Amino acid sequence: MLLENDYFTLYNKGNGRFSLKIFLCRESKMENRFKSVFDIIGPVMIGPSSSHTAGAVAIGREGNKLFGGVPKKVTVHYYGSFAQTHRGHGTDYAIAAGILGFTTSDLRVPKAPEIARKRGIDIRFVEEKGESPIHHPNTAILDMTDGHKRVQLAGCSIGGGAIEIRRLVIHDIVVEPSGTLPIVLLIDPERKIKNQRFLTSFLQQKAPFNESRIYKSPDYYIYEYAIQNYFKPSLIGELKKKYKNIVCL
Amino acid sequence: MYNHIKEIVADAEKTEKPISELIIEQECKLSGLSREKVWNKMKYNLETMRAAVSKGSTGKGVFSHTGLTGGEAIKIKNYREKGYTLSGDFMMEAVQNAVATNEVNAAMGVICATPTAGSSGTLPGILFMLEKKLDLNEEQMIRFLFTAGGMGLVIGNNAEIAGATGGCQAEVGSASAMGAAAAVEIAGGTPAQSSQALAIAMSNLLGLVCDPIAGLVEVPCVKRNAIGAGNALIAADMALAGCTSVIPADECIDAMKKVGHQMPVSLRETGIGGLAGTPTGQAIKTRIFEKDV
Repeated sequence: MLLENDYFTLYNKGNGRFSLKIFLCRESKMENRFKSVFDIIGPVMIGPSSSHTAGAVAIGREGNKLFGGVPKKVTVHYYGSFAQTHRGHGTDYAIAAGILGFTTSDLRVPKAPEIARKRGIDIRFVEEKGESPIHHPNTAILDMTDGHKRVQLAGCSIGGGAIEIRRLVIHDIVVEPSGTLPIVLLIDPERKIKNQRFLTSFLQQKAPFNESRIYKSPDYYIYEYAIQNYFKPSLIGELKKKYKNIVCL
Repeated sequence: MYNHIKEIVADAEKTEKPISELIIEQECKLSGLSREKVWNKMKYNLETMRAAVSKGSTGKGVFSHTGLTGGEAIKIKNYREKGYTLSGDFMMEAVQNAVATNEVNAAMGVICATPTAGSSGTLPGILFMLEKKLDLNEEQMIRFLFTAGGMGLVIGNNAEIAGATGGCQAEVGSASAMGAAAAVEIAGGTPAQSSQALAIAMSNLLGLVCDPIAGLVEVPCVKRNAIGAGNALIAADMALAGCTSVIPADECIDAMKKVGHQMPVSLRETGIGGLAGTPTGQAIKTRIFEKDV
């Protein structure tokens, strides 16, 4: 059984178990991909390409945030322009730098693969031939694991160092945000919808969101919010203090 | 947030504020940061740009690892020193600044993406020339970047700024349009003239493909920024002279998006078509990747 519309999606995970996506709300407002003048004038970065280098650092950094640190093993799948030109653009070292948590202007960015190797982190890059599963020519999909936990993040670089995260897989649940950052995720092992309600009202006051969705599997609920504007740094601290399993991308 | 150029112009005319001021106010509102923080962030970007221009124009210049680009900002500098250029010394100074910045970028130096790294030379190209020509102070230069950035936000949200989705017209074309609009403001033109300059600059680079040799941000990117800077100055001068674009700025932006999406994949930053596809381009690709840069 598969139902598909804007409000309700059921995934067959192939092992006889299902996960459920519920779409909660969408404001009619136009959603802007670029949210700050510094998305256009900036970032300050090490060359040569903002989408293939700075944007790739950003995708790696989101991988680090989602994983909650540096994974032991990462397989990076490239699609489209990323697959064609990653070697010339330094995309490999950029993704590695992001996974290590470096910023775009960190002078260690070009040395990141070496640094990762020394720390015993295995990062591999695969040029995929087919169409990007998230429909963008600058796509990188990160498969991350530490032996127990497996997490997947599919990001695309939309220009000038800005990125979108269009798909995540956490605890076998496929999360499909609208893409534009920031994104807040709460992973709820208690599976209590009141947890979602509390977070929703907190965010409504502190960080208004355009859309929110609930993803359900037998083991976890995941609540996802597409936040309107970039966070103030203090808010991330506040959220992390309140919720152990929160992810702010 | 401003979604269209015409909204910015209307607001600037109604409030009698320069576009830069509206963009600073918008940024404070969107980010929740203080005016001082927002201002200092842009100042840091300006300082990064200045350092890159200077690095590429000093000594023997900078060279990329592949040897494809480098040292040409110095050639332009030496040529200018002879005292005679066809297009004028200020024009060639802008070109020199633009080339210097993109040579630093190709050599994996530190730059400020404006809006992208591939097009990072266009804005500093004209800005540091105008600093001398118009005797600009730091405040005016920071305002230039806010105006350019505000225009770029509208372009980015309505069209594209990545070569992979919109071709070079989305990168150097956008940078040139942003620079033209900002140059008009800094030269004392009206917000409406800024919008005209943007439309003219964007129209003139419509259709520009993204065809980097071996997929590297070197050839033709470095020299494309020279044309981005030159085109911005020409468009700004035309707008200041009272010339107008038949097609309004917002429609030019829409056209850029459509043209970008109609471009074949081979001309959108894949290193396959255009100059990258020439026998020489292909031979360079083979040579570079055999060495495995």
